[in-house]
Amino acid sequence: MKRECIWQADAQQCVFRELVEAFSRPGAVRDLTDWLAGTAAQRAVLATLMDGETTLADPHARLGAADWSLLQARRDTTESARYVVADGRRAPGFQPALGTLESPEMGATLLIEVAAVGSGPLALELAGPGIDGLGIDGRGELHLDGLHPDWLARRADWTAGFPLGVDILLTDAARIVALPRTTRVTITGNPLT
Amino acid sequence: MNAMPHTTRGSAYNFGFLDEYAKKEIRRAVLKAIAIPGYQVPYASREMPMGRGFGTGGLQLTLALIGPGEVVKVIDQGADDSVNAVNLRQFIEMTCPGIATTTKTAESTLIQSRHRIPEQPLTATQILVLQVPYPDPLVVVEPSEDKRKVMHGEADYSRLLVKLYEDIVQFDEITISHRYPTRINGHYVIDPSPIPRWDVPRLNDAAALTLFGAGREKKIYAVPPHTRAEPLAFSDVPFRVEDFRDAAGRRRACARCGCTDSFLDEFVGDAGSKTYQCSDSDWCDEQLLQAEHAQGEPA
Repeated sequence: MKRECIWQADAQQCVFRELVEAFSRPGAVRDLTDWLAGTAAQRAVLATLMDGETTLADPHARLGAADWSLLQARRDTTESARYVVADGRRAPGFQPALGTLESPEMGATLLIEVAAVGSGPLALELAGPGIDGLGIDGRGELHLDGLHPDWLARRADWTAGFPLGVDILLTDAARIVALPRTTRVTITGNPLT
Repeated sequence: MNAMPHTTRGSAYNFGFLDEYAKKEIRRAVLKAIAIPGYQVPYASREMPMGRGFGTGGLQLTLALIGPGEVVKVIDQGADDSVNAVNLRQFIEMTCPGIATTTKTAESTLIQSRHRIPEQPLTATQILVLQVPYPDPLVVVEPSEDKRKVMHGEADYSRLLVKLYEDIVQFDEITISHRYPTRINGHYVIDPSPIPRWDVPRLNDAAALTLFGAGREKKIYAVPPHTRAEPLAFSDVPFRVEDFRDAAGRRRACARCGCTDSFLDEFVGDAGSKTYQCSDSDWCDEQLLQAEHAQGEPA
């Protein structure tokens, strides 16, 4: 049986290194095309990170039964899952785990699919660790398309009490960008408002 | 099955020795460590075919990161040819067919190091992995891990600062020579592994990602690139690095390459005489090579 590229160890290692780069440099758009073989970036990220030891929530019913059995992740509620896979076009109607003071790593990783990463009408200014600029307090820019406005407002609440918070990975068809909990986001341009 | 074993012909071991499930667990911990700079993420440190304390934490990070096409450099106290570095490099070469190893800092994409950060500044395309024996800087003031985790969460480092203050009262200066407690992004204080003070400022606003792996203590933490890393100090007693000036106030030079701006190791001869040499062997070689080039060129 021919197995899809994203389930192969080689591809997963490459996708992981792209994730390392993305989380190290918030706002930097990384392209996963080489390892996708036509599938969505979000699925490749899931294939890279999931196994039977972790929990996943799918509030927007994005995953088919076949993927669930391949991913092996335990199904959990959005309130307690370590990973949540979501559709960015829909408003976040849930409260993810934020971790605890003693164990902030229990805060969820949100994998959100949007229409476009790196281009689009929604313009954000980013600041925080990992963002290069003039000196250590650099500013970064990020353009997005198809992210429901509620996400950023809710994220601001979720990440208000560092070290608690959520870490977000936005994906489109092939590209990824990370907004870890330390990144401060300001909306600089949005034609919808 | 989402994590296919990955063996090459003739080898019974998976690429990178660890099975794919072990790698996934380490990878999830690495991403959380990067997202929460300086926080020690617990992970299930695997048994490695070498004793804990020989760099198993750093090695597990390296093996979870490594892929075909990687150029790996392994150093121990700055040298590529000391026992720990040679053994780890051979193990990586044996279990990761297809990767390349190097001693040159500039050529490497992944550097595993024990107790030194290379003299040559790292770039955005490199990752530094440091081996850590004792990950928690609070262990000297608080024996209970539960309590330390609360202190870290609240960024309560008052007792650690009192410890430093006691040093100043007794000795007129902070006497920590290595493992200098360093505050990351204004919150968590880390043990930056037993690097000398000389190397601590290199963590601040670095171009490269630095990952820390403590195998015995089962912790992974990170200093992302372009992140604040501030050694703990007082406003009237600033942090300072090692002083390599001799009695006459002149900066000592490396006896081999003549470099006057690198971290020096002290060697004591049989007669009690002292000589100094670069701790970073690749840096020393590069300086020698440059000096030879300069000499060889017509005036």
